[in-house]
Amino acid sequence: MPRKYSKLERGEALTGYLFILPQMIGFLILVLVPLIMIFVYSFESRNLLFGNMGFSGLDNYQKLVSDDLFFTTLKNTIVFSLGVVPLNLVLSLALALYLGANASGTKIVRSVIFLPVITSGVAWAIVFKYLFQGGTAGPINYMLSFFGIEGPNWLHEKGWAMLSVILTRVLKNLGMNVLIFMGAVMNLPQDVLEAGRIDGANKPLLFFKIKLPLLMPSILMVMIVTVIGSMRVFDTIKLMTDGGPEGSTMVLVYYIYHQAFKTFNIGYAATISVVLFIIVLILTIIQWSLRRRASFYED
Amino acid sequence: MKSSLKRVFCALLVIFVAVLPVMAQGSGESQQQTSGPIDIKIATWTSNQDQLDLLGSFVDEFAAKEGVEINATFESITFDEYNTLLSLELQGSEAPDVFWVLETSAPAFIESGLLAPLDEELAEYNPDDFSPKAMELWQKDGVTYAVPFSTSPFFVIYNADLFAQAGIPTPADLVAEGNWNWDTFRQSSKAIKDATGVWGFQTVDGGGYDARILHNLCPIIRSYGGDAWTNDGQILINSSESVEAVQLFHDMVYVDGSVVPPGDQSNFFAGAAGMTVAQVSRVSNLAEADFAWGVAPMPAGPMGDVPVIGQAGIGAYSRGKNVDIAKKLVAYMTNEECVARMAGIWPPARYSVLESDDFLSSQPLLTAEQMDMAVGSSIETGRVLPSHVMYPQIEVESRIVWDRLWNADADVKAVLDAVAQVYANYIN
Repeated sequence: MPRKYSKLERGEALTGYLFILPQMIGFLILVLVPLIMIFVYSFESRNLLFGNMGFSGLDNYQKLVSDDLFFTTLKNTIVFSLGVVPLNLVLSLALALYLGANASGTKIVRSVIFLPVITSGVAWAIVFKYLFQGGTAGPINYMLSFFGIEGPNWLHEKGWAMLSVILTRVLKNLGMNVLIFMGAVMNLPQDVLEAGRIDGANKPLLFFKIKLPLLMPSILMVMIVTVIGSMRVFDTIKLMTDGGPEGSTMVLVYYIYHQAFKTFNIGYAATISVVLFIIVLILTIIQWSLRRRASFYED
Repeated sequence: MKSSLKRVFCALLVIFVAVLPVMAQGSGESQQQTSGPIDIKIATWTSNQDQLDLLGSFVDEFAAKEGVEINATFESITFDEYNTLLSLELQGSEAPDVFWVLETSAPAFIESGLLAPLDEELAEYNPDDFSPKAMELWQKDGVTYAVPFSTSPFFVIYNADLFAQAGIPTPADLVAEGNWNWDTFRQSSKAIKDATGVWGFQTVDGGGYDARILHNLCPIIRSYGGDAWTNDGQILINSSESVEAVQLFHDMVYVDGSVVPPGDQSNFFAGAAGMTVAQVSRVSNLAEADFAWGVAPMPAGPMGDVPVIGQAGIGAYSRGKNVDIAKKLVAYMTNEECVARMAGIWPPARYSVLESDDFLSSQPLLTAEQMDMAVGSSIETGRVLPSHVMYPQIEVESRIVWDRLWNADADVKAVLDAVAQVYANYIN
């Protein structure tokens, strides 16, 4: 028999639900409904100019399987993520350890690293597009020329273009991850570290055997956020390369944008969105299960 | 607690069901005709205030003529994003009542039914005055869906100071000698780069490698006897004539090194290039130029002078709440008087204006002689850029292939064969 709740308990519960109500309404209207509609649209022949041209069954999914460009964008997305995520994690962790050690100049470094985070993504990409100009017109190539190096046409040569957008993206978001890691580094239990030192552990041993395992929950959390962020990259690509050259920086989200708003194929764009949703969902589940296994010290 | 959860879930559902009609109300309301001032939204890709003021004055005059009060708002969308944002807006409750249409997307917009037929309204303003050739793109089955307010040939603008520094004749001199062709154009570009270190040529609006690739290549290709594709479905982009023309441009970029290359943001109007290709609407950028400049028609090729025209149309949204007044406004904005006043910015498709003396003096920065040489003589003989109902798809897919062209060791013929394959997927 279900337990009866007192008037006070019911009132408290109601107050709680009222507090989350605005968020719930926002979630329903802005997230859940569009998400459901994406699934519905993926089974329709829907065009932004011509409207809904009817139910098309699995046609969009069949088209996806034979769409070479889709697989190219999928590969590009993986390359982009493999470039951004490890680079971002290693750099931000290294910087957090340096800043957490209160070495000289940390305040300046902290400000400089965090500055890109509060800068508009659009402005950041435009500035880097200018910096990465080819020939000697671009400041980066101009500086390289002092060392006798002839820089490439960064954003217009395959390979270099992907590297350029990866670097731009890593530098933009580094600060936020440094901040999260710094919080974790500063909260490392000093007694455990001290015990390690007394037992004769040198710095590498201290890092790999004590600090790293203790930081694992934060690392995995940052990894999940960075992976999802890298799968959703748009502004950097749009403003710096427009997916080129030869589609070498066309990632999934940008391909969705192209299909939906450049060629007006809303139905097909919805199908690619469903695939992206499933990929992100699977990655998140894997990483959450990893988090449980690898985080020995998590409560 | 379970029953409490159920109640909350039910409450959320009720709220959701209640909110949906409110959200949908926007489009419902848009069908209602209200009394008082009529709100008219006009979408354009210009943000030039003088040009917007001119369009605004047409709206005011139209309102006075019709005896109605109109609240006109102009929405300036950037050229690169124009189709994207416009098509999105046309699906919502904030759609413009009147909007400009790009020539390349005209067939798609007409086919989609988003443009209202205008013949009834145009009948009041001497429609026979329009050049039939200029109207071709904007009509289907004899019905007019938009009116070309701009029929603007491409021509060359050059920096006379750089030509003087290089000690070579200007394009205008070469025109006078009868020696202005793609070979002398290439030689001039290289001579400027070699003598001054400044780029010899910048592609149209700097977009010749991406967004404006056909704007850049079509004038060369057509004057060599090639084309991208024809209205009857022939794909000519990989014909020997087209290959020869594209090879010329490729050599200018990678052999001569005289053209502003991909990714370089050097700008002709800032004095960083010797020549560029433009239309009359860009001439206003030269009002405060700190260098001497001149204009010349596009260079001739083996097929002689083959002018290329860029068109822009104006139409009324067929599902707009004020569609009737919007149609009348479009017709009014393209009458003889309004077209004559726009002629210095957007060359007209009306014979009465084209053949008038006032037309040649309508652009204050150009002399009558320059206007005639670069613009007037090309309007009737020029051809518009290629267009197709599937143009958006063609553009996006072919862009990826075109990119292969922009490196020094590209095989031009192989790239154009691949572009032709993409075209063949859509053009019959």
